[in-house]
Amino acid sequence: MKIAGQRWQKIQEQSFYRATARERAAGVADDGTFRELLGPPDKICSPHLPLLGEVAQFDDGMVTGIGLLGTRPVFIISMEGTFLGGGIGEVNGAKMTAAIRLACYTCDAIREKYDGQVPEDKRPVLVISFDTGGVRLHEANAGLLAHADIIDAIQDARGKVPMLSLCGSRLGAFGGMGFVIMATDVVIMNEQGRIGLTGPEVIEEEVGRDEFDASDRALVWRTTGAKHRYIMGDCDYLVADRVSAFREKVLAVAAFPLARILRMRKTGSAQLVKREQELVALSVKEKIKDSTDFWRYFGNDQAENIPEMELERFLQTVKRRPEAK
Amino acid sequence: MNFIGKGRQVIEMITDPGTFIENKVGNAELSPGPGPGAVVGTAKCGGQVITMIANDAKQQNPRFKVVYSGIIGLEEAYKMAEAVYCTMAADQAEPVAGKRPIVLIVDTPGNAPGKLEEIVGMNKATVAYQLALAEARKQGHPTVALVIGRAISGAFLCHGLHAGKVLCLADKFNIMIHVMPVTSIARIIKMPLAVLQERVKSNPVFASGVTFAYQLGAVDAVLEDSAAMKTQVLAAISSVRSAQLRGEYSSIGPEGRLQAAIERGGRKTAGIVMKKMREEADNILRALEIL
Repeated sequence: MKIAGQRWQKIQEQSFYRATARERAAGVADDGTFRELLGPPDKICSPHLPLLGEVAQFDDGMVTGIGLLGTRPVFIISMEGTFLGGGIGEVNGAKMTAAIRLACYTCDAIREKYDGQVPEDKRPVLVISFDTGGVRLHEANAGLLAHADIIDAIQDARGKVPMLSLCGSRLGAFGGMGFVIMATDVVIMNEQGRIGLTGPEVIEEEVGRDEFDASDRALVWRTTGAKHRYIMGDCDYLVADRVSAFREKVLAVAAFPLARILRMRKTGSAQLVKREQELVALSVKEKIKDSTDFWRYFGNDQAENIPEMELERFLQTVKRRPEAK
Repeated sequence: MNFIGKGRQVIEMITDPGTFIENKVGNAELSPGPGPGAVVGTAKCGGQVITMIANDAKQQNPRFKVVYSGIIGLEEAYKMAEAVYCTMAADQAEPVAGKRPIVLIVDTPGNAPGKLEEIVGMNKATVAYQLALAEARKQGHPTVALVIGRAISGAFLCHGLHAGKVLCLADKFNIMIHVMPVTSIARIIKMPLAVLQERVKSNPVFASGVTFAYQLGAVDAVLEDSAAMKTQVLAAISSVRSAQLRGEYSSIGPEGRLQAAIERGGRKTAGIVMKKMREEADNILRALEIL
């Protein structure tokens, strides 16, 4: 079913947090332009889930496809957290890898079509909308290997296809996808967005409740939440919780010169490794025990007020980690 | 017999005697302080200069209490990544044939799970190392991983799975290679352990063990004889090097292992997905007049 016209308009005004993977995908692209790749009609499901008594889904919990952002093709990967925790398995992992590689392939084809030079207004863009806890444990080994394929594809796409991440759905980007998001160029979040590697429950179980109390929602939020990621520079843009707000930011960033987009990277060079080593050393030197210690260090004297602060006021007053030079 | 916790001993076994110099890569000196669980440096192997990156499971990081027993923490991951970037810098002017190999000795139970790690960004650290290794391979550095003990979850992803070739000692060396033990998976996906253990016999996608890892394309070769580690590492270096010299980069690393898995009957559906998506994309791109 194509999402266009009134239906597309309606999605624009919806909460991004509550939107389904398909709504987010269609809503980010121009009205009516999103076409799904390997959608439900193809019926390619996980061959592993039935063995464990789980019902498979025709899209394996991930929407992939192509749309337009003005003159640019946009390759969209959108995860559905309501299906088995948005977990990455063999099929949806392969869909993600394939979508990234197809964006590169399209970039190469456009370069060839225009005599060796990609016109900037035709350069493909990649958008990934995260809603996942990471590897799908029902097919854990295949899911883990898929992450290696995805990072390998991202490394090939670097400097060719701008990679924009959207993180503002129920499950955020955790586990393996918590590091995949840090390999992309630009991260856009709403206040509900969360990013982390090891989930709060896992930390509590492996290290103990003294280390991390997973039932303390305020603690979980300030450790993994969007405001913390924004202060630390892992998140580039914090926007309102509306599909249209994400779309507008995607349109704005897609129009940036490629060099500017690449300057927003968080990982992937010797200089950035050095920068992060300094942050690690700083955390030791300053005896950081809580996110709020970093917030204060970076100049937010009233750190305790930050969690409750309205988004606009936060954006106006917050002091962030200085940007990379 | 096993090599768990013996990363440093394996460095001696696979390098030319007395050639390993710790914390030096090219002209760069790495700080010996941070990341005690990561051993990095330069050695010779069969006469050629290589960069070594290994886990030292005997070290406890005094600054990060969750980092011990080979766990890769923030300092460790960045130190490993730094060693890779120093390697690329050292051979920047060399053609592919002259780029030095990077050998990874893998014995790690995981990335560090801690509050401070989450606050600072363990996710960034582990992917920084992955991107470094991927870039080195794509630049033409032959990268080879040798699993000697534990190769678990995200730690194996960063320290192992981006190598051109992954070698792994056989099950009899008490190798642990998986994302999560079946006992934990059973608890989390709420399935009786007995049922899961029965299913494990027929399906490698959630089982542990070297045979399954081979079938799924997590490893390229299984070593039955530990005395052959050095010759096997050298052979893998030369096989990766020749693929790189032929420009066949998709035949090594994760892409190469996915192809191998499909041929071995593992991850067959992934192969179908890739092929079908390409066909459908061609049609859509033509309809949108992009191609």
